[in-house]
Amino acid sequence: MPEGTDVRTAEVDGRAVSVGHLDDHVTALEVLRSTGCTGPKDVCGGGVCGACTIQLDGTPVASCLLPAVALAGRTVTTVHGLSAAGPHPVQRAFAAADALQCGFCTPGFVTAAAAFVDRWRAEHGDVAPPRDAIGAALAGNLCRCGAYDAIHRAVAAACAGEHDDPAPLVGARHDAAPKVRGDAVYTADVRLDGMLEGVVVRATAPHLTDVALDLSVAAEMPDVVVAPMLAEGDPTVRFVGQVVAAVAAPTLDLAAQAAAMVAVLGAEAPATIGLDAAMAPDAALVFADRAARKGAFGGGEQQAIPARWHGNVRGPVRLGWRGGTAERRITRARSASDPLLVETTFETAGQVHTALEPHVAVADVRADGTVRLWASTQAVGDLARAVAARLEVPVGGVEVIAEHVGGGFGGKLSMTDEVVAACLLSRVAGCPVRVRWSRAEELSAAGYRPPTRSRISLLAAVDGSLAALRLDVESDGGTSIGASAAAQSLLLYGRTPRVVRDLDVVSHAAPGCAFRAPGGPPMAWALEQAVDEAAHRLGTDPLELRRRWDGNERRHALYDWAGALPAWRDRGPVGSSSGRLRRGIGAAMSSWMYFVDPGTEVTCEVRDGRVVVTCSTQDMGTGTRTVLANAAAAVLGIDPEDVDVEIGRSSPSHGPTSGGSRTAASVFPTTTAATEALRDEVVAVAAGELGLAEARPIDGGIAHRDGVVPWKEALAAAPGVRGAATRGADLARRVVPFGDSQAGRGLTGAVHLCEVEVDTRLGRTRVLRAWAGLAVGRVLAEGPARSQVEGALVQGIGYALFEERAVDPHTGAVVSASLEDYRIPGMADTPEIEVHFHTEGWEHVPGGGVGIGEVAAVGVAAAVGNAVHHATGWRPTVAPVTPARLLEGLGS
Amino acid sequence: MIDRPTTLAALAAALASAEAAAPVPAVGSSPLDRPVVLRAGGTDLQERLGSERRAGRRLPTIVDVGGVEPLCGIHPVPGGGVLLGAATTVMVLAESAVVAAWPALAAAAGGLATPQIRAVATMGGNLLQATRCPYVRNLDVSCWRTGGIGCAARDGVHDRGVVIDLGPCVAPHPSTLAAALLAHEATIVVAGAEGQEEWSLSAVLGDGTDATVDHQLDGDEVLVGARLPAPWPDERGAYVRAAGRQLAEWPLVEAVVRLAVGDVITRAAVAVGGVAAVPLRLPEVEAALVGHAPTAAVVAAAAAAATARCTPLPQTGYKVPLLVGTVQSALEEALGEALR
Repeated sequence: MPEGTDVRTAEVDGRAVSVGHLDDHVTALEVLRSTGCTGPKDVCGGGVCGACTIQLDGTPVASCLLPAVALAGRTVTTVHGLSAAGPHPVQRAFAAADALQCGFCTPGFVTAAAAFVDRWRAEHGDVAPPRDAIGAALAGNLCRCGAYDAIHRAVAAACAGEHDDPAPLVGARHDAAPKVRGDAVYTADVRLDGMLEGVVVRATAPHLTDVALDLSVAAEMPDVVVAPMLAEGDPTVRFVGQVVAAVAAPTLDLAAQAAAMVAVLGAEAPATIGLDAAMAPDAALVFADRAARKGAFGGGEQQAIPARWHGNVRGPVRLGWRGGTAERRITRARSASDPLLVETTFETAGQVHTALEPHVAVADVRADGTVRLWASTQAVGDLARAVAARLEVPVGGVEVIAEHVGGGFGGKLSMTDEVVAACLLSRVAGCPVRVRWSRAEELSAAGYRPPTRSRISLLAAVDGSLAALRLDVESDGGTSIGASAAAQSLLLYGRTPRVVRDLDVVSHAAPGCAFRAPGGPPMAWALEQAVDEAAHRLGTDPLELRRRWDGNERRHALYDWAGALPAWRDRGPVGSSSGRLRRGIGAAMSSWMYFVDPGTEVTCEVRDGRVVVTCSTQDMGTGTRTVLANAAAAVLGIDPEDVDVEIGRSSPSHGPTSGGSRTAASVFPTTTAATEALRDEVVAVAAGELGLAEARPIDGGIAHRDGVVPWKEALAAAPGVRGAATRGADLARRVVPFGDSQAGRGLTGAVHLCEVEVDTRLGRTRVLRAWAGLAVGRVLAEGPARSQVEGALVQGIGYALFEERAVDPHTGAVVSASLEDYRIPGMADTPEIEVHFHTEGWEHVPGGGVGIGEVAAVGVAAAVGNAVHHATGWRPTVAPVTPARLLEGLGS
Repeated sequence: MIDRPTTLAALAAALASAEAAAPVPAVGSSPLDRPVVLRAGGTDLQERLGSERRAGRRLPTIVDVGGVEPLCGIHPVPGGGVLLGAATTVMVLAESAVVAAWPALAAAAGGLATPQIRAVATMGGNLLQATRCPYVRNLDVSCWRTGGIGCAARDGVHDRGVVIDLGPCVAPHPSTLAAALLAHEATIVVAGAEGQEEWSLSAVLGDGTDATVDHQLDGDEVLVGARLPAPWPDERGAYVRAAGRQLAEWPLVEAVVRLAVGDVITRAAVAVGGVAAVPLRLPEVEAALVGHAPTAAVVAAAAAAATARCTPLPQTGYKVPLLVGTVQSALEEALGEALR
């Protein structure tokens, strides 16, 4: 330590921060964030994800585990300090390569990457490092959006000296600059004056009846407010982790101490956990009667189709066409031991969204009944309406704010417990209250893609046609209903006779909820592996077989593209690889619906000489801001950087929820129309103000008889001018209502190829390269579109190989409640990815392009499974394909 | 504490005064129920403190040991060995030119956790860290380790559990460095009321049958360092970690291998982690190597001997072949071009 250094202060980004007075238990991250340094994020609290990374005397460390007192006399550089004298080259590189999506992990990533880049260049000069070196250096950082391949590219480029030019920070993504600087404000960063910290009390037993709460001790503690959270008229606990009460206090520690004083009293009743237990004849009932069933969380995988209940089983919901034909053909084939009948049971584990920004809400419920609510949500508009209904206040008085959202993936679509708790506590306390899930809460009781068990029967005919399909899927979604995996198979393989059945099996476990492409990945894990197996038995190229069975023209273009890739064309026969490390390649296809929200409204106005586009929607990392900016910029022929986008706020005007891949097709053409209206009005106003004759808009400005007035000048002459537009429905006959959205005409398509290397000795599977072809029409925002596809691949790889929500078989308590025990992919698990867009076939949709998020996700895991089969000759039926399952499978 | 003790005497005094001042908490509801807890890097402790705070629990008094002079640095000792100070970070172990003379130790240090953790976590903390069992870390679950009775993992999810079942708890020992130091025949320097003593690593960690403690040190005993004997002439070493993901994952099985090779293998030390409540030397594997030519057949047969003690649990049968494969891979890697 240099002489004269104050041993009680740290130098943080050039300023002195006192740490001498702090409690021994406090972490460096807490101190930094409490002093307004909110770039470093609090995500896992266990040093796993690196979102809190700071440089301590130049070395990256996890500030969430660093005692604050250890900062004394040290120099700290956060993401903010990195760019103090202009952006660090790695920040420029991240922006340029679109090495980020939601941006919540980005401050930690760039802080760790900057240290690596600086050290690498000092030791090796300006050369790109090998991929493995980057992966190892950033092994302590996780990105749930899956921006890893772009991060690889960005770090390599920064090391090679490609981003040293001190140009302004410009990215492929409209909000890249604040995200790479760590300045973007998320709900988790919101701190209001006089705000209390709230926590919830959760049940620790799986099944209690006649529950009563004793809140008295907590309520009598000074500065503590309490709110019961049990549903009225249903005093039952149905799973470990169920929220029963909420408590707020000036500090989180005090709130936690008060919560510990809440007693949950009730009669312990038998619990049933898991598919087989729940379906046993003597199983304890989760919902005792019809009234109780109404409490089943219907926000499960999808809108639940009405069905009958039998004990803990709801359904089957039976769908299909020519089902009798399908059943007869399958029965006949089975009795004839037809080798072309593929009959297998597939299983998938629960997958947790794991958005790095946890569920968090800051509610300010005022005495006059108005509410301001900051929430990490995918649906500012829906949430405002739901909160108004829950608090019984006018919807016009509720404003929901979500300027930046640190990932959602389907887990933040509805009004979840943290929102309700924050609102109820704020109403009681008369001041703002924040409620934020810990990572353990996030990983155990904030929703998940339910585990499934699928029995598939797929019959190919001798002539190579698809004769019949049957798919029965049991969904293990705890107290939730709404399984849709079997139903998803209706989107594939044309009019083949089929019968598909979805069963909700409820048990005393936390509820699942929608997760990116609900039902899709588990369906594909079964169906697309069964198709692969049929191709294997028929001796046919699996892509050729799909082309034969799949009538969708857009996907045919993708089969052409994929089939021509050398890695596919030159592959060997199944199981022909030998030795310890075996390589294989697998393919799978995906299909999804095209959704649009016809009520979407966009306004476009001139403010301070700039174009401002406004919509009541949000950007959870998908690139909605960029789509809006691109649409407006294209109309005017200006740079998207010159368009301001205001989203992330509920308002009286309607905007789309970020779900169902509906946002892009809802906002892009609407923004185009609103900007066209604005443009025409600006031309008229500016022509008058500036005396322009024969004025007409051209790219970049207004052409008139005597020359061109650039938009900048024209806009300055037209302050306050507005244009507005509403999306409206497509002019197509086949439009199906779906909530406040519609399923429009046409299905999107994707084809994935994954090349794996299987270490048959250590049981490890690594995806080396991956290809994704998408048929979603015109690409509306290039960087974010590609990033979405890459991210879906990474999440699919996690689903196939690593991610497993583990539940105790006796209590339903979640065992995988930390990021060490719930394992999402990291940098080094990410393949090199090639993305291909087939842009034709969506001309009937205004704007020519549709959403990407879900179709990009459906078939990935199945492609990995098929690749493992190709490499080893062994077919994995249970996902994830962990070393345990692989070694047991290969050994048997 | 901001005024960190810098001598062992000051540390003992700080411990004594903290003990005297600390309220006596309820016994046995959590691993942190000692009234005073030592902290080095804090990478394990802070996470557990965070959980305790979120549960509204009373927290122990912390005494920081990172500034205690005898715990710091790597010091040569007569005879060619070194004394590794307990506060030496894992990153230093992985990157130090001195430690490079023990290649298996350096590789093990570089293979654990993440860069951010290795920069802060210490050797002593790594050895004495609490078990990683998710049931133990769930404050709503009571078991042998938290003052209760029973092992919820044994009856529940234990697919990452032990395959050599030594005691009532099924969680494998979490310390990679313990396996490495075991292979290096290091002795552990412990300072207590009676002065400094040298303990075997087994004495520090126990034999795996006592699930009520994470290690055998008393509250007033401090791990000062590890005495590493001189490297073998022409020592070869390797560390292999088997896990689902490529990096940054707790090992399913890990193997630390040291070899000296002439015409035949002259010396061998093999230690494994991830398989039992304590890291284990595998003398049966070592015996199958020493005196034999370094051929693929010898390596395979030696690795296969690792199964001798396996007693898999219902969910850990896969660890039997994985243990063999991990040991075999580490042996092959250590032999390198010497493999015939």
